[in-house]
Amino acid sequence: MTEPGIAASTSEGGEGPEPRPGPDGQGLDQRPSRDGQGAVVSLRGVSKWFIGRNDPTHALSRIDLDVSDGEFVSVIGPSGCGKSTLLRVVGGLVGYESGTVEVAGTTPAVARRTKQLGFTPQTPALLPWRTVRRNARFLSELNARRAVSEPLSEQESVALLETVGLGKFLDSFPNELSGGMQQRVSLVRSFVLGAPVMLMDEPFSALDEITRNEMRYLLLDLWARTRKTVLFVTHSIPEAVILADRVLVMAPRPGRIVRTEHVSLARPRTTAMEDDPVYLEHVSRVRAALHEASAR
Amino acid sequence: MSAPEPAASAGPGAPETAASPAETAEPSASPAETEQPAADEERAPSPPRRPLRQLAVAAAPVIGVVLLFGLWEFYVRAAGVHVLTLPPPSRVLRHLVAEPGFYWEHSLVTIREATLGFWLGFSAAMVVATFMAHSRFMERATLPTIVLLQSTPVAVLAPVFLIWFGFNIWPKALTAAVFCYVPFVVNAFTGLRAIDENAYELMRSVSSSRWEIFRKLRLPHSLPYLFSSARLCLGLALVGAVIGEMFAGSTGGLGNTARVAQTRLLVDQLWGSIFTLALIGVIANLVLVAVEARMLRWHSSQTTRS
Ligand SMILES: Nc1ncnc2c1ncn2[C@@H]1O[C@H](COP(=O)(O)OP(=O)(O)OP(=O)(O)O)[C@@H](O)[C@H]1O
Ligand SMILES: [Mg+2]
Repeated sequence: MTEPGIAASTSEGGEGPEPRPGPDGQGLDQRPSRDGQGAVVSLRGVSKWFIGRNDPTHALSRIDLDVSDGEFVSVIGPSGCGKSTLLRVVGGLVGYESGTVEVAGTTPAVARRTKQLGFTPQTPALLPWRTVRRNARFLSELNARRAVSEPLSEQESVALLETVGLGKFLDSFPNELSGGMQQRVSLVRSFVLGAPVMLMDEPFSALDEITRNEMRYLLLDLWARTRKTVLFVTHSIPEAVILADRVLVMAPRPGRIVRTEHVSLARPRTTAMEDDPVYLEHVSRVRAALHEASAR
Repeated sequence: MSAPEPAASAGPGAPETAASPAETAEPSASPAETEQPAADEERAPSPPRRPLRQLAVAAAPVIGVVLLFGLWEFYVRAAGVHVLTLPPPSRVLRHLVAEPGFYWEHSLVTIREATLGFWLGFSAAMVVATFMAHSRFMERATLPTIVLLQSTPVAVLAPVFLIWFGFNIWPKALTAAVFCYVPFVVNAFTGLRAIDENAYELMRSVSSSRWEIFRKLRLPHSLPYLFSSARLCLGLALVGAVIGEMFAGSTGGLGNTARVAQTRLLVDQLWGSIFTLALIGVIANLVLVAVEARMLRWHSSQTTRS
């Protein structure tokens, strides 16, 4: 990670730390993208309003963001600051009033139609009538005609299930699995789709702390195997830091990015790093930014 | 679950997933066992084995029925009840065995009407529920009509159907269909509508078509609802067919044989018809349960109960 291929994003106060040169890992983000070149997800001045029954909500205000190919970006912020809305805008599930959004070289709507976006919802949302094996392939079966990216093969998806420790449960139904196991299937399912961009909205929030910690490293494992671009929303500071190349801190009313923290830990990330002073420093900086964001 | 016998293989390193809900629930269910020495708690508890009790549980339905008929038989004989009031079950059974052809023939008539009515009611309900599940307007427009039907004793429609269709299978089938329609439409609508929000969003995130969402999410989700209403409707379809036969003029079917028996005081035939109808209902239910067990292997009602 000598050259963090990350574009400028709103970093209020300009106090973002210089990205540290970490021990050179696999060097996954060598592409410079200061001007959005090579960015897989790119937002320019995006604003989004919700006109509800009561006052209109300014859910997103002039968001600028570039995420380069293979990058892992965490998004953290107080409740209601627009994190889910940001994901849904990128995913083409809601529209926006102004600005431009580009995903995989096209508009969110087209990216969605051509199955270039892999969603991981908050709950596992497995289909109870499908076995683990068939649940993992669910997304790749849908709307298959228009998919531009090749989904993983049957063997590859089984291999991913084995990676997350579900090799013995391929033919089990979801109601025979624990919550953590179900969430693992859900993760695998989004990777099997083979989409270049993954959008994850608090996928671990329903899990207990121990399972949750395991899941982080499983996710990193899957990500390392597939090298997808990930936008990951979470409420957990440690989670945001240990997973990401970059942590975006958002503030509410109007929803905006107030701070960008470049995480300089090497890849692959390990549990041991959770005691690393560098890691702890990142955590405390994100925490401070988050406090400030919530206080406004 | 394909877990190995826990008692034989489970040690401290045994997978925690090997325990089925029944097994994990056992220690807390019987407080006496928690007071055993700690060494015993190291092993996973083996599934309870009480062969006599299991046999009793398995035989319970048969025992219940035999008991009912036994008491009935005993009461009728002991109290000297007149045969016109209530014949002993043994007499009815003897009559049935003596006249199998007669009842077979009329059973077929009733079964045909009930089956047709069942599927008509089901099909109409599925079509209406599908529209309702996809459109708020359809939902709001249709609900009052369902409530209206629900509050009407639909049996009175049988003569109307007779006027419309004449002396054939249709008035009976339609009466049966009307009986089945309401439970089917209510359950189908719930099953098609009350889907997992996140699963729906997930399908939308890859631009799944409405048809795909219907086929891969709504329809399978509605199956347990449909099966539970189907159990109810099997009985209702028979009721509808019999009522149709009684009030919409007919020359065949068990409703007709019962009505004729009543006017001519043919006790054996009246009760023979009743017994045959009950038998048809029971067999239909058993078939349905078997189909349900096969099709809903994934559903929790199939795995958590034994
Ligand atoms: N469909 C909607 N209609 C009206 N307002 C909405 C809608 N969706 C979101 N909002 C509003 O937009 C703002 C941002 O919502 P969003 O769900 O993006 O927040 P979030 O950061 O994901 O919160 P959380 O951490 O609680 O999930 C909130 O004030 C919310 O009330
Ligand atoms: Mg949210």
